[in-house]
Amino acid sequence: MSREPLLQIEKLSKQFPGVQALDAVDFEVYPGEILGLLGENGAGKSTLIKILSGVYTKDAGTILWQGAPVEIHSPHHAQILGITTIYQELALVPQLSVAENIFLNREPRRVRAAGLVDFARMKREAEAILADLGVELDGAKKVQELPVAAQQMVEIAKAISRNARLILMDEPTSALSSKEVVALFDLMRRLKEKDVSVVFVSHRLEEVLQVVDRLVVFRDGKRVGELSGAEATDDARSPSTSSSSKGERASEEKIIRLMVGRQVGLFPKEDAKIGEPVLQVQNLSGSNGVRNVSLTVRAGEIVGLAGLIGAGRTEVARLICGADKLDAGQVLIQGKPVAIKNPSDAVRAGIGWIPEDRKNQGLVLGMDVKQNTTLAILKRISNAVGTVRADSEKEIASEYVKTLSIATPSISQQVGNLSGGNQQKVVLAKWLSTKPRVLIMDEPTRGIDVGAKAEFHALMSRLAQQGIGILMISSELPEIMGMSDRVIVMCQGRVTGEFDRANFSQEAIMTSATKFLALDALE
Amino acid sequence: MSSISTSAQARTGINIGELVKSWFRNTEFVIFLIVVILFIIGGSINPRFLQIENLKILTRDSAMLAIAAVGVAFTILVAGIDLSVGSIVGLGGVVVAYFMMVWLLPIWVAIPLTLLLALAIGMGHGLFVTKLKMHGFLITLVTFGLARGAILVLTNGFPITGLPEEFTTIGQGYIANLIPIPVVICAVVVAIAYYLLRFTFVGRQIYAAGGNMEAARLSGVNVDARIILCYVLSVVCAAIVGIITAARLSLGHPAAGEGFELQAIAACILGGISFKGGEGSVLGVLVGALLIGTLQNEMIMLNINPYWHKIVISLVLLLAITFDYVRRRRRA
Ligand SMILES: Nc1ncnc2c1ncn2[C@@H]1O[C@H](COP(=O)(O)OP(=O)(O)OP(=O)(O)O)[C@@H](O)[C@H]1O
Ligand SMILES: [Mg+2]
Repeated sequence: MSREPLLQIEKLSKQFPGVQALDAVDFEVYPGEILGLLGENGAGKSTLIKILSGVYTKDAGTILWQGAPVEIHSPHHAQILGITTIYQELALVPQLSVAENIFLNREPRRVRAAGLVDFARMKREAEAILADLGVELDGAKKVQELPVAAQQMVEIAKAISRNARLILMDEPTSALSSKEVVALFDLMRRLKEKDVSVVFVSHRLEEVLQVVDRLVVFRDGKRVGELSGAEATDDARSPSTSSSSKGERASEEKIIRLMVGRQVGLFPKEDAKIGEPVLQVQNLSGSNGVRNVSLTVRAGEIVGLAGLIGAGRTEVARLICGADKLDAGQVLIQGKPVAIKNPSDAVRAGIGWIPEDRKNQGLVLGMDVKQNTTLAILKRISNAVGTVRADSEKEIASEYVKTLSIATPSISQQVGNLSGGNQQKVVLAKWLSTKPRVLIMDEPTRGIDVGAKAEFHALMSRLAQQGIGILMISSELPEIMGMSDRVIVMCQGRVTGEFDRANFSQEAIMTSATKFLALDALE
Repeated sequence: MSSISTSAQARTGINIGELVKSWFRNTEFVIFLIVVILFIIGGSINPRFLQIENLKILTRDSAMLAIAAVGVAFTILVAGIDLSVGSIVGLGGVVVAYFMMVWLLPIWVAIPLTLLLALAIGMGHGLFVTKLKMHGFLITLVTFGLARGAILVLTNGFPITGLPEEFTTIGQGYIANLIPIPVVICAVVVAIAYYLLRFTFVGRQIYAAGGNMEAARLSGVNVDARIILCYVLSVVCAAIVGIITAARLSLGHPAAGEGFELQAIAACILGGISFKGGEGSVLGVLVGALLIGTLQNEMIMLNINPYWHKIVISLVLLLAITFDYVRRRRRA
């Protein structure tokens, strides 16, 4: 890549109260390259992206765009320059069709003066733009009816049709199924052929290695290294695609070492004494699609709940936690049946739930670390007249900040300002403070960096050793197989398999996970 | 919320400039400053503005507005709204007069009964909002009309007169010949609301419910109960203002409280209660109400044509909202 860089950043700095988010960072993107941006939680990746997309203003440093210095004032300005950011919260109009979204504000007209929109042409052209990117979609379909993955693609198509030169994506794959990830990567490669550059952030290393030309690693707001795609994937590609090959490990390890500055042992599963059942679910059914699910979690046991996205695992969790109404079935805690009609019943019964969507379901982003930590135990730490005891609140919050090593300037920091991994730890702190018997974790390490992930896993092991029963939902098979004592597999709202640690195999789990899907395909 | 982090910074660093800046980022302080400026302007144009007699009127009017505004603030905190305030002020005054003059009930029965009725209405609002997932705007808009209608039915459009003196003291009396009783009532209401929101678990849960209803619910917070409480408090506060108004006028007037919802909501916005929910403080509402009260009084004292008053208040509101939005955008 000897060409002039498309984007060149020198000595970029950004400070937040108490945090140097970016510290004299150099960064460059060449035309037509796929660049992976990696780093621990809080390393400053999102901050860089937000500066480039005009959401934050930089404190210092220069940005050269196509060779000329620019100040990016606003998201709109960034788009005019040709820099488009695909956010997790998508920026499409849900009630409009795919075509209308792509051509928003410059719809093809039938008769110019009369302002009539030529809908047929618009649909045709929109579909052509999508097809050009290898995406097959009905241009007349409403955006809100599409899955997240397809919406992402529509957004990219919209950007491309407006001559975007650089597409920024902050953790675009975290909510996608593995099939959708493959499709997204295909699209990225097409963009590359069109000489459009892509910068994307991800915490899933194996995924990053499949697609990037180059990757840049941040740590504590500084750029600590760079690997070329070849360097990173060389060894990974050679011994075919076998996932446990030695080569891939080696390069992943290389990245991890750069990211965290030390070795990280993944899946630190330790044996715990497995005791009596703490959670028993019998013949659970709900209007949310769960059908006749039974399962047991014992004290000290980590049970993995595996399955494809949409298999109904989150729905099982929602029923157990009282978030959705159950039609039939029973929940027993430590052998005693409990009536769970709403989430507060579940909290009282000793069930903790770390939901998959921490921003919308786990945290009150406008509140601080302390207030979020104690949200589920407010009554317990209040006196007779209902006054929250400020000292116990501080004490509890400080204790969890310490034991979970939550990186925050203080317990009075708004959680919205913390990085993803630390936000997740605050959710965990909230539930640990309730002293739960059972913890249900839905995709607990999504969006969390490898270092923090290993830490989180170690924490899970420790919690299990303290006698807490853990039900872990995860779409990452390695995580499921690495951390669970037992795996339960679901497909289409039903339990389709159960395996002990001794009998774990990727094939068997996948077969159970697609049990009914295979049948459907035959019909 | 950057004010939190900056004030924390100011404590550690000893930068006076930063400290002053952080004060100016504080909505309550800025609004209070504007009130002070209004006082200076008012006093210099018309010295009577600063005389005790006028200050008694000014604080009494502001106190009544503040009570109603604090009530509305509760509903805005849980991402709702209460449009029925003005009509409830009217209904509260008419009903308490009706109880005393038509049903011939003693004061100490008439007032609690009126507040009980308010509680029931607020409860109704809360139930519609929580059980039917209706926006507060709609159900309180219905009450806005219903309550006004009920007033007309009860009074045939004529004021209910002849209220006893022990009752009218509530609106007209002073403590130590200086502090208007409505100001005392306001102080009590503000103190209770402040304590509730700032220090109790119920208050914390109200903020959480407003900030992220789903997360609060999943954490075991009884979100419905908190929202219902907020709607109840809103109507009860409005009814208190209604009772004071009747006492002050010595009669239950069918047109009392008309347009009061605009002023109360304006006070909340000026005071920094966010319409997204979960953000803002009672003290902000108090200074917001004081600002509007001062402005209104000043317009009277400066002989500004009363027809212009609503326009001025609305323009101030526009200014405040614009200021707030610009600041919010810059902060991001
Ligand atoms: N608006 C803000 N106010 C205060 N601090 C902030 C703000 N935004 C980010 N930070 C802090 O800046 C640092 C960098 O955050 P950033 O979000 O860029 O990390 P990241 O690399 O994207 O992490 P993650 O992988 O968890 O998403 C963190 O310490 C974070 O707490
Ligand atoms: Mg990030």
